[in-house]
Amino acid sequence: MALHIICCVKQVPDPETPPSQFRVDEAQKRVIPAPGIAPVPSQFDPIGVEAALRIRDAVGDVKISVLSMGPESYRDAIKHCLAMGADEGYLIDDPELYNADHWVTAQVLAQAIKEKLSPFDLVITGRQAVDWDMGVVGPTIAEVLGLPCVTIVKSVAVSDGKIVAERVLLDGFETVEAPLPAVVTVSNELGEPRYPQLRQIMMAARKQVTIWKATDLGLDPSSLRNRVNIEALYVPQVKVETEFIEGDTVEEKVEKLLQRLREAKLI
Amino acid sequence: MVREVTVRWGRGRLILTGLLFFVAVALIPLASALAVVAASKGMGEATREVFFNVASWARILVYGATGIILLVLSYGPASRVRLWLIGKGERRWDRPWERARFFLLYGIGQGRLPNDFYAGLMHLLIFWGWTFLFIGTLMLAFHDDIVEFLEGHVYLGYSLALDLAGIAAAVGLGMALYRRYVWKPPKLRLGSLWDDVALLWLMLAIVLTGFVIEGLRLGMTELQGATIDVGDGLVTDSDWAYWSPVGFLIGKAAVKAGASQGLMELLHRSLWWFHLAMATGWVAWVGYGKLSHLLLGSANIFFRRLSPTGAALAGTALAPITDFETAERLGAGYLRDFTWKQLMDLDVCVRCGRCEANCPAYNTGKELTPMGFLQEMKAYLTKMGPQLIKARRRGEETKEETPVAGGVVSFETIWDCVTCGACEYQCPFFIEHIPKLMDMRRYLVMEEARMPPTAQATLMQLEQRGHPWRGTQLTRTTWLEELKGEGIDVPLFDGKQEFLLWVGCTGALVERNVQVTKALVRLLKEAGVSFGVLGAEEGCSGDPARRLGNEYLFQLQAQQNIETFKAKGVTKVIASCPHCFNVMRHEYPQLGGRFQVFHHTQVLAQLVREGRLRLKGVSEVWAIPTTYHDPCYLARHNDVIGPPRELLVAAGVDLVEMGRCRKGTFCCGAGGGHMWVEESRGRRINHERTREAAATEARLIAVACPFCLQMLEEGAGSVKEAQEKGMAVLDVAELVEKSVVFSRLVPLERV
Repeated sequence: MALHIICCVKQVPDPETPPSQFRVDEAQKRVIPAPGIAPVPSQFDPIGVEAALRIRDAVGDVKISVLSMGPESYRDAIKHCLAMGADEGYLIDDPELYNADHWVTAQVLAQAIKEKLSPFDLVITGRQAVDWDMGVVGPTIAEVLGLPCVTIVKSVAVSDGKIVAERVLLDGFETVEAPLPAVVTVSNELGEPRYPQLRQIMMAARKQVTIWKATDLGLDPSSLRNRVNIEALYVPQVKVETEFIEGDTVEEKVEKLLQRLREAKLI
Repeated sequence: MVREVTVRWGRGRLILTGLLFFVAVALIPLASALAVVAASKGMGEATREVFFNVASWARILVYGATGIILLVLSYGPASRVRLWLIGKGERRWDRPWERARFFLLYGIGQGRLPNDFYAGLMHLLIFWGWTFLFIGTLMLAFHDDIVEFLEGHVYLGYSLALDLAGIAAAVGLGMALYRRYVWKPPKLRLGSLWDDVALLWLMLAIVLTGFVIEGLRLGMTELQGATIDVGDGLVTDSDWAYWSPVGFLIGKAAVKAGASQGLMELLHRSLWWFHLAMATGWVAWVGYGKLSHLLLGSANIFFRRLSPTGAALAGTALAPITDFETAERLGAGYLRDFTWKQLMDLDVCVRCGRCEANCPAYNTGKELTPMGFLQEMKAYLTKMGPQLIKARRRGEETKEETPVAGGVVSFETIWDCVTCGACEYQCPFFIEHIPKLMDMRRYLVMEEARMPPTAQATLMQLEQRGHPWRGTQLTRTTWLEELKGEGIDVPLFDGKQEFLLWVGCTGALVERNVQVTKALVRLLKEAGVSFGVLGAEEGCSGDPARRLGNEYLFQLQAQQNIETFKAKGVTKVIASCPHCFNVMRHEYPQLGGRFQVFHHTQVLAQLVREGRLRLKGVSEVWAIPTTYHDPCYLARHNDVIGPPRELLVAAGVDLVEMGRCRKGTFCCGAGGGHMWVEESRGRRINHERTREAAATEARLIAVACPFCLQMLEEGAGSVKEAQEKGMAVLDVAELVEKSVVFSRLVPLERV
């Protein structure tokens, strides 16, 4: 029987937006999209698709579904994953969910996985989204679905109804096993996501992305409450103070510099 | 104030080379004409017997053999044409007059040969010597069998001309043998025993035996004394012998050595047959191997790619893919994905090595050699072709053992190319190297998604962000805001301005290049040019995508720009990047975008000529020795050579040329998308070029391309020779800015 892998992906404001263009609406507590700069797939998410494609390269019979939640523009991220080689794309586009926190997001994604995409064997997410960098949606989906979760992996292989994954640790790697179905979050150590072949790009352009509303999943959006609320959002002020050490000779300047550094208790 | 400006090499060398070649070409006919004039007093009855001293049936044999020889000769090309037809169709016979003109210039005229002076002269001597000897033989046949015209002073002139032609051929062949045996330049490394060495010896033997035969004939006839009857009512005269100087010397020597009439007769007769056998053998050889360049090379020049926009080289304007939806394969992965002309190119190559000797990739220790990959493909075509034809005839699906792209021609070879066009510019037969490599890139990228990681990152970046400069801190409008701070307002183009200034991604998004953009804008403002910019609406021109093999992305980007241009009513474009300039000038018309495109050096030169930019008497760059690095896409691909030099002279710098300049320029290493592709093999191309610049007296390197600026500036900071001299790199526009009198105060924050 075919293995079914679900990859969760997200679209984010381009992390390479020049700092001069980055603005936040402090009253609304949200980021103002930089004009003329298109959003991009969150860096780790295509790596998740790459992980799924590698499993397919190894075992053959694998169906890969791409799941996302957000506004219409997120379709681009799904299309990119389809062009890489994923089979189906699904988008939960419900304006009532646009301000969802990680908890609500995980609830909705888990519901879609359970209700619409079952049976499945593996859910892959990025280790974190590169906009808010919280890194909790993957584990929370596992929590909601009651599945084992392996985070921050650099490789994942499937055999005999279980996964073998290598986790990235601060001082090395750790190989773990978990029974399927499971949730895995991938890190950049896995490698670059593949470049889509043109034929797949053209095929992906023709593929339909299925759109759901919360109610399609049997959810009542009003019953879903954020658990994390933003108190304030602002661009931190960076202050740089520069002091020029004056002196007639290099030796004198060095002497004074050392003195200042000692005063500041830096050496 | 006018100043003497030193231009070393450059134009002077070109003129000298051209003159020498003209003299060499004109020498033989000129000498014969002179001879005819000189001989025009009383030698009315001078002539010779044609089949002298050989059996009368020799005539029948010679004509009979000619038929067989021609059959043997034509089998060679015919067997190769079958192989070419494995490839796809391509129309190469439109505009026949233009093709004929090219053939005259570069086929008969051998216009590409002076690029290598020694080899060019050598080839020219052999070519013209051989051609005259061949025509001479035909004339003799005509004289003997149709109308006797080789009589009197015509005959004597003819004798002298052929002797001179023989000398020319012998000298040329001697030069060639010297080159093969003694000099051994590295570019001849692919020479083969039969094709290169044996052929030369054969030709030399033909010329020398010809001379000896002539000498013996003279020894037996004209040199035997005053007027003697040699039978058939023919008489000879010893005075005539001087008109065959080489034969005269040999005959004289034979007579002096005391050779008897009988011995000379025997020697003459046997050598005559030997000479005939070698000469006919040579003619049959013309259908095969290297010698087939007489036919195939000529045809290749005739079939060269002609661009509707007048692009200089085949690599200047790559052919568009028009059938994305239906194509069996995108780009060229296997033999049958190439066109017949691309396969024909393989057979035309004679391994002269000019491409290789000038290739920046090969000469910095990379895998690519233009000559080498053609030969690899040729060997594979020869091996695989007949099987493919057989399979096709049986109606079977044709299967090739290995792909050409990434198999026969290595992945590294395909990705090493910087598309500078040096190979194409050097090739005497107009072989189109770049389109082949680019078609293979297209296959690797679009069909297999195989490319260097940095190329992949660049294509992703182009797709997602519409420019190649990952991590830039600037936006396309940052520089506009900064100029506004200086009090310079640049309008957005809305159809009211004459020119659109196409800033380019690099000119807007890279700090160093922004300075050039600003300098250019200040100059255009000063001269009162009416222009506008697209600001945030500008996108990538598409050149990097196309040259990195993603034709699809190129067409999307180009079409987007063409639509924007048309919507805004753009007719004239000024581009400061030669790559944008090239793609808009030659490749946008393929997609229906016809605009007048100028490079900023062309516009600035015009403004200086018209006096709209006034120059200081003595500027801060006055008399600084400066060398100009020709960007490949400006000089070689687009023939823009004069305007930047005009500007440098106007700016008052002391112009010093590098050895490789103008159309013979050496790439900075950033063409063909390589600005963003890691140079992981061999030495760095930009360091090689910087070293060359540092070897001149120049303290400044002037450039006219944003990539060259970055590459050479990096080189000037890393190459020891340049560091020691403290070399700086400036765009021509920046140099001009330093030398122009501004009518209003412009804060120049830089020195």
